[in-house]
Amino acid sequence: MNTQQPTPVQQTLEQFMDCDDLIYRTYPVIQTELIFFGNLVDYQQINRDVIDPLNHVRMEEVPALLQQSQFEQETDVAKVIEGIAEGNAAVFHQGLMFLANVYGPEHRNVEKSETETAISGPHDAFVEAIETNLSLIRKRVRSPRLKAVRLHVGEIMKSTVYVLFIDGLADPDIVNEMVNRIRDIEIDGLIDANLLVQCIDDNPDSIFPQFLTTERPDVVTSKLLDGKVCCLIDSSPTAIAAPTNFFEFFSSPDDYYQRWILGSGVRILRFVAFIITVSFTALYVSVTTFHYEMIPYPLLLNLAESRNKVPFPPLFEALLMETTIELLREAGARLPAKIGQTIGIVGGIVIGQAAVQAGLTSNILIIAVASSAIASFVIPSYIMSASIRMIRFGLIVLAGVWGMLGLMVGLGLIVIHLTGLKNLETSYLTPVAPMKMSDWKDTFIRGPLWSSKTRPSQARSKNIHRNKMRK
Amino acid sequence: MKEKLNQYHIAILIYMTQSGIVIFSLPRLVAENFGTNGWYVLVIISLLVTCNIFLMQLVYRFGKGSSVFDILEQRIPLAVLSPIYILLALFWAYLGCLVGKQYILILQMLAFPTTNPMVFKFIFDFMALILISKQIYNITKAATVFFYLTIWMVFVFFFHFPEFSWLRLTPFIGYGGIGGLESWLEIYIAFLGYEVCLFLIPYVPEKTKVFKAVYIGNFFLTFIYLFICVIGFGFFSFGQLTNLVYPLLDMLAYLQLPFIERIENFLFTLFLFKVLMTTVIYFWIAKITLSRVFRKVKSTWLDLSVVVVSYGLSLIPQVISEVERLLRMLGYTQIVIVYVFPLLLLAVIALNRMSNRRRENPS
Repeated sequence: MNTQQPTPVQQTLEQFMDCDDLIYRTYPVIQTELIFFGNLVDYQQINRDVIDPLNHVRMEEVPALLQQSQFEQETDVAKVIEGIAEGNAAVFHQGLMFLANVYGPEHRNVEKSETETAISGPHDAFVEAIETNLSLIRKRVRSPRLKAVRLHVGEIMKSTVYVLFIDGLADPDIVNEMVNRIRDIEIDGLIDANLLVQCIDDNPDSIFPQFLTTERPDVVTSKLLDGKVCCLIDSSPTAIAAPTNFFEFFSSPDDYYQRWILGSGVRILRFVAFIITVSFTALYVSVTTFHYEMIPYPLLLNLAESRNKVPFPPLFEALLMETTIELLREAGARLPAKIGQTIGIVGGIVIGQAAVQAGLTSNILIIAVASSAIASFVIPSYIMSASIRMIRFGLIVLAGVWGMLGLMVGLGLIVIHLTGLKNLETSYLTPVAPMKMSDWKDTFIRGPLWSSKTRPSQARSKNIHRNKMRK
Repeated sequence: MKEKLNQYHIAILIYMTQSGIVIFSLPRLVAENFGTNGWYVLVIISLLVTCNIFLMQLVYRFGKGSSVFDILEQRIPLAVLSPIYILLALFWAYLGCLVGKQYILILQMLAFPTTNPMVFKFIFDFMALILISKQIYNITKAATVFFYLTIWMVFVFFFHFPEFSWLRLTPFIGYGGIGGLESWLEIYIAFLGYEVCLFLIPYVPEKTKVFKAVYIGNFFLTFIYLFICVIGFGFFSFGQLTNLVYPLLDMLAYLQLPFIERIENFLFTLFLFKVLMTTVIYFWIAKITLSRVFRKVKSTWLDLSVVVVSYGLSLIPQVISEVERLLRMLGYTQIVIVYVFPLLLLAVIALNRMSNRRRENPS
């Protein structure tokens, strides 16, 4: 009976059977074999570090060559197989195995973010390559205190995840909590950071996003300086930051790149936009259905005139227009940019105008719905904006059924829900509940630097002072 | 990373529990019972409340932060306490529920005259159920947010300043009303709710000065009541005040902005949050009282039973006058409880101490 063990090369090739993109080269003269995935490696690097030396080396020089720093010896075939799948080149020589890190697949260049645009400040955004993303942060934080803990997620995908924090600023308990949650994920694979957050959320059934996601390295850097913990995942242009709170989704990097008074004004405007987007259409429905007496007489005449041709109750009218707006938004998001603009014009002007003329809706409702939609886009976080738009539908229905009371019940239910939310065991409503007055000047306004001397309390940083600026 | 109750939130919780629907009729109640410039009684009653809180503080101090139930159960067998607990829980749940019903009936009168109020009561109780199913820390957080959503209403009354006349306050005190015991009790009911502090004790970290927060909450309420009543006395004549059922609603109805009128519709609906907090806190007290008897029953079932039973009981009074009469009766009983309960607890603590001493020194 033949009991001869397969060689490491045979074992490796067997594992990668039917992987036709695998490159297998043999060097019979020097009894060496090379295996790698051509589409995962940087060709310049593999030529310089591995292929050229192997082409020109003599048999007796091979051991010396493999002592060079680009080669790392492995004893376990499984590790070698894993290494090849991760973009390493595997060198086999007389039963010995070596891995050379030549990872460098093609990826998009660093460009502007399309979802998080800023008028001033840096414009670079993350791409789908984790090492490039990490470099964008490292080049900003040039300190050995910036730590990057590497983890792997997904039984099959084994995506690399970096947990980033600044030593001495981040709370070790929060760092550990984040690392443990990521380690505990049991899933076949995670394609994007937005999926990662759904695996580590405290309340997975909530409509609200519980981790701040961003495509901007400057935002990640500022969160790291706040003492927070950030995460990058391979093949995703999105980073996550924690702990976060409801109000953080209303701040934009632009607030900090402008004079503080302007930044504060814009911040307040966003909270006003939040109130408008949540309640404006619902208020219209409530007032026109149950509380006509609240409208002053001159305005009432206009409203009555505008509504007298409309055959539907306000609730139905509002839902019709809100759904149309959502359809237009979704169509605009899915179509190529040039056609998307056309859809906006066709939808916004033609359908809006035609709907009023056809007597399907009133002018004032069009104004209410359009204002709500515009206000929702003022919120910098796309995910938060989408959540709020969804909530609006619930509030409109409640307002249509129970008027002002329905609207208040809806708002009450949202507040009750928000009070129960947590992010990495910290309250989602910080700094309102629990009350942290010192954080308010960087929450509801963007306070001047001389007044914002401390890091946000939610980060629980031991090093609370961030600047010694004077007025 | 356990969440803790801090002073600020306790103060807000106390204020939110104390303040309720009675504020809408308070200027009339004060005028009816204590005549011209009757608002001064609010200060006296607030001082009485402060004394009562001090009694409760003594329970906290001598009980060394123990739960009131633990103190009672050290001396009195649970078998004896159980029926009392059940009765008290029913009483508190009903009290909280009627506060909600009174609000719903006024709301129905204002905006939904043809709708069955019990439909609104159902939604109201549903919200209360969701809130009591959470921990006290979350209830407190909700109270804080509701506080911010409602406290700005005080500034609305600055619009009444142009119509405010010092002449209407008159130099006479107590003309037109006699302050009997019932009058004092009626106004005292407006201050009830601070007794929740007794039940918060086990949830407060040792270092937190819980009672300082309770005093602050009560003083803030006194300030708001005084502000509203003084404005009311200066805005309306004494005769008007005694004739208007809800003077505060009429004051709000006076406001007219270029884009909105009859603002009381909106502001009164916003008051839902304050009333909800009062109801929720009484429900919560009822629930934790019941949990001492039914220790093995899941908390969810206790929450549900408190809300369902009180909803069923709230079907009994049909009209607002019946609800108000019942609330007055329950309020009087609660006043007795808030004085007797801490005294009973202090007695039990004293007895426990004596027996402990005897055990330590048998001679």
